[in-house]
Amino acid sequence: MTEVAVTASSTSRERVGFSPNRVGVIAVNTLTEAIRQKVFIFLLIIGLVFIALAIFFAQYSLGEQEQLKFIKDTCLGVISVISTLIAIVGTAQLLPSEVENRTIYTILAKPVWRFEFLLGKFFGSLLLLTVSMVAMCMMFGAVLWIKEAGMIRDLSQTYLGQTAADKADAIQQIQQLKTTALDFDLVKAALTDLVKAILVASITLLVSTFSTSLVFNVAVPFMVFIAGMLRGTAAEMWGAHHLFMAVVAIVPDFGLFSIADEINLGNVVPWTHIGEVVVYGLARTVIIVLAAHLIFSRREI
Amino acid sequence: MDAIRTEQLTKKYDLGWRKGRLLALDKLNLRVHEGEVYGLLGPNGSGKSTTLKLVLDLITPTEGSAWIFDVPCNEVVSRLHVGFLPENPYFYRYLTGAETLGFYGKLCGMGGAALKKRIDELLDLVGLVKARDRRLSGYSKGMLQRIGLAQALVHDPKLLLLDEPTAGVDPIGSKDIRDLILRLKGMGKTVLLSSHLLAQVQDVCDRIGVLNLGQLILEGDVQTLISDQRRLSITVQDLPEAAQARVEEAVRAAGGSVVSIEHPQTTLESLFLDALRKDSRGAGHHD
Repeated sequence: MTEVAVTASSTSRERVGFSPNRVGVIAVNTLTEAIRQKVFIFLLIIGLVFIALAIFFAQYSLGEQEQLKFIKDTCLGVISVISTLIAIVGTAQLLPSEVENRTIYTILAKPVWRFEFLLGKFFGSLLLLTVSMVAMCMMFGAVLWIKEAGMIRDLSQTYLGQTAADKADAIQQIQQLKTTALDFDLVKAALTDLVKAILVASITLLVSTFSTSLVFNVAVPFMVFIAGMLRGTAAEMWGAHHLFMAVVAIVPDFGLFSIADEINLGNVVPWTHIGEVVVYGLARTVIIVLAAHLIFSRREI
Repeated sequence: MDAIRTEQLTKKYDLGWRKGRLLALDKLNLRVHEGEVYGLLGPNGSGKSTTLKLVLDLITPTEGSAWIFDVPCNEVVSRLHVGFLPENPYFYRYLTGAETLGFYGKLCGMGGAALKKRIDELLDLVGLVKARDRRLSGYSKGMLQRIGLAQALVHDPKLLLLDEPTAGVDPIGSKDIRDLILRLKGMGKTVLLSSHLLAQVQDVCDRIGVLNLGQLILEGDVQTLISDQRRLSITVQDLPEAAQARVEEAVRAAGGSVVSIEHPQTTLESLFLDALRKDSRGAGHHD
């Protein structure tokens, strides 16, 4: 009747191997659960509203390029903050709510490895982050596209019926707008923000494997994130102090992920650097998730 | 082969710094035979739920070991043929009954037409066909308990662990669950049932074990344990008063003594269920 994922060894003893399918089932269910939560919807709506409002407030800046810079600054800032908040809030309650509602009993009473369960919950959180990031980036893209179209329309009308030299100037400005508004380099900023949020989510997951307090699960990752952001400044102050070196070994350098300013200033950030940052973030994430597994596999439920 | 076997199974919980440890289960030696319904009885805090959690590897024993169908409980494969219904279960409230069973079925590696067929079978078995597309947030306590049983059965396990399956359920729902357990027994399933509702356990269990303060203080076949071999009860109908006197005389003449003569009573539960059955509007809360 059933098709349980089982393999038989040479001694015909049944075995249950690691199953990506089970991880996927738990991840999709986790995403569904998160989407139904008001706090997630609230955070996402706040993010989308602030991104949309950027186009309104941009008109108080002088000049097309300044307005575009304002929109990019604001939107990338909002995406960074909201994705970090969703990473913390969306992950902090994953395990405690399963234990509190006893749904974890019904899942772990099935032939499911604890690592599959933990990974499923984490991937569900990553799906949530990806969905929110895509939604915010689409809104960001739409805002830039609307602003660009409006600016081009205004320029075209301003120089309508002017001299040939003015028209050439207008065409040049329009071309410049087209290259600076929807800049592909913005994808690099969004990508590093996503990896940063994934890293924050993994820290939150690690904390929630040994703590059942929601406040603790939110506060600790937030403090680690702040400490990680200030690591560069701290390095200048304390240099090779033993305590500082210990903190460096534990707390990820979140300052590495702040490349939006560079891109917005028009500086070229090479893909090799982006690759290094992504690998750094994902490697840290893997280590932290493995640490979470070590704790969760021994936890009494 | 025993469905469940424990040897010297002991669990002590840390109560916190300088507060010592609580002995929740003390050297439990338990054997649940394949195909039987075993009732684990005891007051609150006697170690019933701890036993089930240990068997499911949700907690780690301080000492001793446990096996399911001869497979050590700390191996995931031991849960291949086990279904579990926790006490007062909560499920994902945003899922419908059918989605819930689909979720648990997929966790057990099922899918496609086989899973759909299984979901239909189980919803029919637990009487939730009409509520299959309703979200669990709209289910009553009894319905949640029944969907809980269905999820425990989704992968057609040989062994069912039921922790207080009728807790908080009204007499009708309670009877439904009891009948379901008897049907499962008829299907050859092994059931380990934890409860402190003695009358219900008596109706469905083949053997019982009584836990108190973490120790198994009594165990055996239900009928043997509850019958008083020195006394005999004869129920007769429409017996004239004169004949009753002759029966009493005959008992005394044979060397016996009449301890009591009384009219047999029905149980309050039977009376309640009978009244509802006779109500032409039916029993109102079910799906």
